[in-house]
Amino acid sequence: MSRTYLKMELFHYFKMASGMKVLIVFFMLMSMGVLAPVAAQTGDAEAGAEVYARRCTWCHGEYGDALTDAAERLNPPPRDFTFAQYKIKSTAFDNYFPNDDDLFRMIRDGMPGTAMPGWADVLSDREIRNLVAYIKTFAGLEEEEPGPSMDYGKQIASSAESIEQGKRLFHEDERCVECHGREGKGDAVKGLKDDVGFRTWPRNLTKPWAFRASNDPKDIFTRISTGIPGTQMPAFADPASDKKLTIEERWHVANYVNSLAKTQEVVKPENTVVKAEKVDGDVPDTVDDPRWERTESSTFFLVSQIVGEERFFTPSNDTITARALYSDVDIAILLEWDDRTKSIPGDETAEKISDPEIAEDGVAIQLPVKIPEGTEKPYFGMGDATYPVNVWHWQSGTTDEPQSVSLMNAKGFADIERRDAEKSAISAHGIYRNGTWRVLVKRPLSAADKEKDIELIEGKAIPIAFAAWDGSNSEKGSRHTMTTWYWILLKPGVGARPIISAAFAGFLVFGVLLWWQRTASTKRA
Amino acid sequence: MIKIPRLLQAVLVVAFIYVAFIVVFDVVLGQVIPASLLTMYMFFVIAGVFMVFTFTEESARELAAPIKALVEDPRKKAIRNVVFAALPLAAAAFTYYNMLPSYQAPVELRSIHPAPPSTVKAFGKRYDLSTLENPFRKYEKEDPEKFEQLVKEGGNIYVGNCQYCHGDKLDGKGPFAQGLNPIPLNFQDIGTIAQLQESFLFWRIATGGPGLPEEATPWLSSMPVWQNFLTEDEIWKVILYLYDYTGHRPRSWAQAHE
Ligand code: HEC
Ligand code: HEC
Repeated sequence: MSRTYLKMELFHYFKMASGMKVLIVFFMLMSMGVLAPVAAQTGDAEAGAEVYARRCTWCHGEYGDALTDAAERLNPPPRDFTFAQYKIKSTAFDNYFPNDDDLFRMIRDGMPGTAMPGWADVLSDREIRNLVAYIKTFAGLEEEEPGPSMDYGKQIASSAESIEQGKRLFHEDERCVECHGREGKGDAVKGLKDDVGFRTWPRNLTKPWAFRASNDPKDIFTRISTGIPGTQMPAFADPASDKKLTIEERWHVANYVNSLAKTQEVVKPENTVVKAEKVDGDVPDTVDDPRWERTESSTFFLVSQIVGEERFFTPSNDTITARALYSDVDIAILLEWDDRTKSIPGDETAEKISDPEIAEDGVAIQLPVKIPEGTEKPYFGMGDATYPVNVWHWQSGTTDEPQSVSLMNAKGFADIERRDAEKSAISAHGIYRNGTWRVLVKRPLSAADKEKDIELIEGKAIPIAFAAWDGSNSEKGSRHTMTTWYWILLKPGVGARPIISAAFAGFLVFGVLLWWQRTASTKRA
Repeated sequence: MIKIPRLLQAVLVVAFIYVAFIVVFDVVLGQVIPASLLTMYMFFVIAGVFMVFTFTEESARELAAPIKALVEDPRKKAIRNVVFAALPLAAAAFTYYNMLPSYQAPVELRSIHPAPPSTVKAFGKRYDLSTLENPFRKYEKEDPEKFEQLVKEGGNIYVGNCQYCHGDKLDGKGPFAQGLNPIPLNFQDIGTIAQLQESFLFWRIATGGPGLPEEATPWLSSMPVWQNFLTEDEIWKVILYLYDYTGHRPRSWAQAHE
């Protein structure tokens, strides 16, 4: 309701402004006695309409207004073309419209981290040009002169020095930190909404795969200069801004942002096993134990829970990293994931940033009750009647309640038995720092209840799955993100076998060589 | 012209073929060749090269000459000592690394299009898959306008429910696809819906992953059980959309029995 209303208001304002601009340009051209040359690469809007009807209406709507069924379940929602406001533009910051090339690029390459795919593999360049021409007609933009490209000055190549400069500017007066957090993970200190009232999250700058354009310094420079129209990402080329940046400064910041990209905790599709190393003595008790730094990590994608009621479509967490260490008696699993908000119900700042109905953050580990002997596993979504699962569920607590861990035995979404985690000796504790939760979960290897708890056995590939909740993103109960089955393996001690076999092989080869040489020389003699 | 010793020639040929394999598979075809397959190919290559290079007695002698010289020639003592130290060490190292326990995930085989059962239960009813037909398919000829409307409704159901995984281009690359294993099916591919009857799709959609038979690892598939979320009619409409958008035709029973 309010969304449509607001849109109408803005729309009329915009229409007027654009109409006036067109008129002015027209009279100017008339008085000069010239006609506007048609841009060399303008597409054919009519041909574009056909492609649009087939490919784009589903999300952007027949009339380009994005009032579609699909839009209800997407965040960010599809672009409303009647607004003529675009996120990605390389025209000067005070120019409302993007160039045709900007639009062309967004359609061709898509917008990572959203439902907007790149169309290069199904549409030709010509067809994409036609689409550009067509979507402009929704806002009467077809007559609009494309604005000049922004001033890039001379690109400053990345260097340790430039990155250092950029870092200073990034932090100075909370310039970027205010929204993107101390380490750039987008750990918002404010609740942000776009112009239409949709929830927006500042980008996690350490995750380049979720950048709408890319994390190439030139793209970052462009975004910093113009901001992201329609969202609260400001334009730092705007001379009216009290945090404005010169061209040179923008290159430094761009180089710094580019350098933030994670290299360690990224998904490697071929790595599907969490490898638990054996330690001498006790397993770590805290998330800050230095031994974690030396432990190999495995990172997995988190996706929305859409197999059981109630389904969830608008996730904010997208990856989770696991590490594990074990001793003769215990296992410790360290789970780590970027979450923009520390969701503590009852906490005033947390509630302000959160979507209405704040809930606790959380994380869960799912394991089969019995390690499968063959290939058969429990159903990845909370197990099934034949193969039940254990779920160890940690929650971040409220202002009244401390952090907690609970234990469930599930035989499917509907058949859940709540058990006492303490009796099964499961403990968990988490710390939130600069946009990242780190939670340590511990349990003895041997099952407290042989019937209902998993017995963790060295050397066996054990199925494991994870789930996470961002309580500020209305995630609670079945509304959460999750992974499908991966593996955890308690790496057995290597033992003496390889070294004995190696010595044996070495001597054998040496013996054969010696014997050969001997027989050869006796023959000669 | 310098004459390359035959032994070196043989080694060079084998090395060249090895590199060629890697280039052709990993770079040109973009598909990393599995280590086990490469080992097998290389075994045959080495055997073949050996046979060619030892075809006549003379060539065999020539091939073996440098090795023989190394073992027997008293002037080669220095090199011999090096080789006699290096070879056993290499053998020991190779054995050691091969004996270390491996931390690979167990291999899981699954069949992607398992044979359907003859009847399936969904929506509290039993369907005979061999006679089941899409009740809306007939409008394609009888009432094209109505058909177009049905396809449109199917499309809206698709983007609101299926595109997250199967993608808005129906290519199996939706925004959630990368987090799933097995990955969502690509309907553009001629190996999927183009090979199937509409009744097969109805079965797969209505009962989802958990409705798969054993050989298709139902515990892994994240395909939801759509009878929990969609009506029977909605499923048939989505099926119309899948074929309409991709331009594939469903297989008919007549084709299937040929
Ligand atoms: C599955 C839904 C979906 C489909 C189909 C789709 N889009 Fe989008 N599109 C989106 C979403 C969501 C966004 C907004 C992303 C954001 O705001 O970060 C978007 C944004 C855009 C933008 C805005 C770029 C910018 O800089 O702001 C353009 C242009 C666009 N789409 C064109 C198209 C065209 C042309 C097609 C058809 C070929 C199409 N889209 C099909 C979902 C879709
Ligand atoms: C008032 C809050 C705010 C401030 C201050 C801010 N940003 Fe942003 N930024 C955002 C939001 C919100 C988004 C995501 C917009 C969206 O939904 O697409 C964003 C997105 C981005 C992106 C992503 C571009 C892409 O292609 O996806 C970059 C890069 C970025 N900001 C850099 C910066 C830098 C550098 C600064 C400081 C010079 C800064 N931001 C200051 C709110 C802010």
